[in-house]
Amino acid sequence: MNARTEVSEAQASEPRGEVVSLRPTEAPQPAKSHMGHIENLELKIKRTETNSGLETQAFYGPGDVKIDYERDLGDPGTYPYTRGGYPQMYRSRMWTLRNIVGYGAPEDTRDGWEKTLAAGGTGLDTVVDSLTQHATDPDHPAFYKEVGLEGVSLPTVRDVQILTKGIDPTKVDIAWHWAILSYPMAAAAAIRDGYDLAKLQGSNMPDYLKLNISGYSDLMPPEMGHKVLIDLLETTCLTSPKWASGFPQGYDYREAGATAHTELGVFFAIVIKTLEDLTARGKVTVDDIAPRLAWVSSSDIDFFEEIAKFRAMRRMWARIMKERFGAKDPRSMRLRVACHTSGRSLVYKQPLNNLARVAIESVAALLGGVQSLEACTYDEPVSVPTQEARELATRTQQIIAEEVGAARVADPLGGSWYIEALTDKVEAEAYKIMDQIEEQGGILKAITSGWVEGLVDKYNFELHKQLENKERIIIGLNDFVPDDDPPTRRFSFDRTNVEKHVRRFAELKQQRDNAVLNERIRTLYTTAKSGQNATWAMIDALLADGSIGEVWGTVRMAHGHSYDLFRAIETPFDLKGL
Amino acid sequence: MQNSTTRCILGMVGTDVHSKGLKIIAQVLRDEGFEVIYAGDHHTVDSIVSAAIQEDADLIGLSFSSTAYVDYTLEIVKALHERNADDIAVMIGGQIHPDDHKILYDGGVGGVFGPGFKMPDLFAFVRECGARRRAVNA
Repeated sequence: MNARTEVSEAQASEPRGEVVSLRPTEAPQPAKSHMGHIENLELKIKRTETNSGLETQAFYGPGDVKIDYERDLGDPGTYPYTRGGYPQMYRSRMWTLRNIVGYGAPEDTRDGWEKTLAAGGTGLDTVVDSLTQHATDPDHPAFYKEVGLEGVSLPTVRDVQILTKGIDPTKVDIAWHWAILSYPMAAAAAIRDGYDLAKLQGSNMPDYLKLNISGYSDLMPPEMGHKVLIDLLETTCLTSPKWASGFPQGYDYREAGATAHTELGVFFAIVIKTLEDLTARGKVTVDDIAPRLAWVSSSDIDFFEEIAKFRAMRRMWARIMKERFGAKDPRSMRLRVACHTSGRSLVYKQPLNNLARVAIESVAALLGGVQSLEACTYDEPVSVPTQEARELATRTQQIIAEEVGAARVADPLGGSWYIEALTDKVEAEAYKIMDQIEEQGGILKAITSGWVEGLVDKYNFELHKQLENKERIIIGLNDFVPDDDPPTRRFSFDRTNVEKHVRRFAELKQQRDNAVLNERIRTLYTTAKSGQNATWAMIDALLADGSIGEVWGTVRMAHGHSYDLFRAIETPFDLKGL
Repeated sequence: MQNSTTRCILGMVGTDVHSKGLKIIAQVLRDEGFEVIYAGDHHTVDSIVSAAIQEDADLIGLSFSSTAYVDYTLEIVKALHERNADDIAVMIGGQIHPDDHKILYDGGVGGVFGPGFKMPDLFAFVRECGARRRAVNA
């Protein structure tokens, strides 16, 4: 199928004369004069609430904060870890500087990795394309156009092997921005390449429930997601103790519109439910799993609120692990945080302004004590990052590390009356959300009913109204919007490798041992259907060159859902008698 | 029954999950008095075109964050043509790059509402689409 041919045919067809066309034909406007307002030009404060709508005072003093240092703060590296996870923080270990690189075929992203490391990145990181995110194969009849567009296409274990060729995953940890099948794929690749899974490093983002509240439609029905996640965490914990599961993953829900305290409330509810059901099985204790988790969060534009959020997050985690789950290991109570600065806070017009936004968001994350940081590129609203923009994002972090002094003192804003009051407030609002979730009958019900997703719809609409009537200003969006902004250069890459990749995929499906694969698929189906942990069955199917679409489709069917999310294809496997 | 307001169907095609903008537009258009069918995300070209025809929509509104929008949109215009539904207008919004305006307009898209568009322009366009289609079908 050649999408390009179809497009040129459309272009050649008759103009649609009956319909309205808004093709711009206006003449340029003359420049406005500001001399009439010259006595009234000062900037006035518009908002006194935080980004998330929490009201603030004109100043804070000792009377505004009731803190017991030992009970509520502790030194950095001491329970309840409000001030940071480690005593020396960045003096003993700098945060990991990561840049996401993901586009095209595995060969393309590997090339991008090499360039990024040459420019100063210190960690490998990738995001998969939206088809792979949806566990959908690149030969899906409806979506060929999207292969490799917004991430790297990784439909099979062989593709992971091409991407990671020569990289020892027991020595180098790769961050996989990827939920469905990410650990099974990494594990299968490691097995094929002869590495010991007990020593496997890496991280992923297996938060399946968040897929339900960040726009992924029916991809992950909540009950199924909850079960499959617990299976996965159990297997990962027992098989690869050095693997870090980026769970919970609050980033996408924040980006969809959630407030800081809503992120905490919703995802603590998810964490609690997940760990309760996981530990109830008896194979894994809280002290086995909690140290192996890392909260994936964003850093949005409200500098002070984000710092307060990270501090509240750590305090809540410590207390919940200790008091609710009886954790004994300090590493269970000490939360690690992986941060990616907010994409949605960036503005399309006059995108160089985003360099300032990202710098401030990055400093907030570091003052908030995160363990790894990905800074967005300034061209994030426009396209997949260009190499130039990625380099600047790296430089931003390096400037912060070397010149700004953000690393030399742990929790530098600790003890600020404002920050302590705001930390308390964000925490209190988060607990209110958790109470509301309990009133709904728990997090699975609250997600299934649409209530959790409805929160962001409500917030987004309020934000929209505030922007429309200028209660809230975003520069370049609803004020100082340039008329004659030259369009930003977009990222583009040669699609040759993608085309080869898709052909290679089709060939693999012919050349693999389809009889063996069919057996593995049948085993996967029966295992998943019976309610047993099917994670190893997924790995076995992947090792027989099953694709992600085939493996995940089988899991979906075992749980009573359609093979294909889009209902365009049926399973090609023989499941008769099962 | 002839309504005197535009009936528009809003949806997203492909694996793009960035639906928050479209949800806001749905609410805004409803508040402005238009009839809005929110068809949701994760459509194929075929399913959104079928829905538009079935719903007797005056206008399809598509939102895109992914970069495949030129291909998808022109395919939708083509599909409408093939199904004798040329009278249904097409508008798109989202992360639409100015460099793509020409190919979109040339390809039969009626309205492009990328970053920085003005709401009154959108309302005027939507209103006009309904009026034109009623005039054509009268």
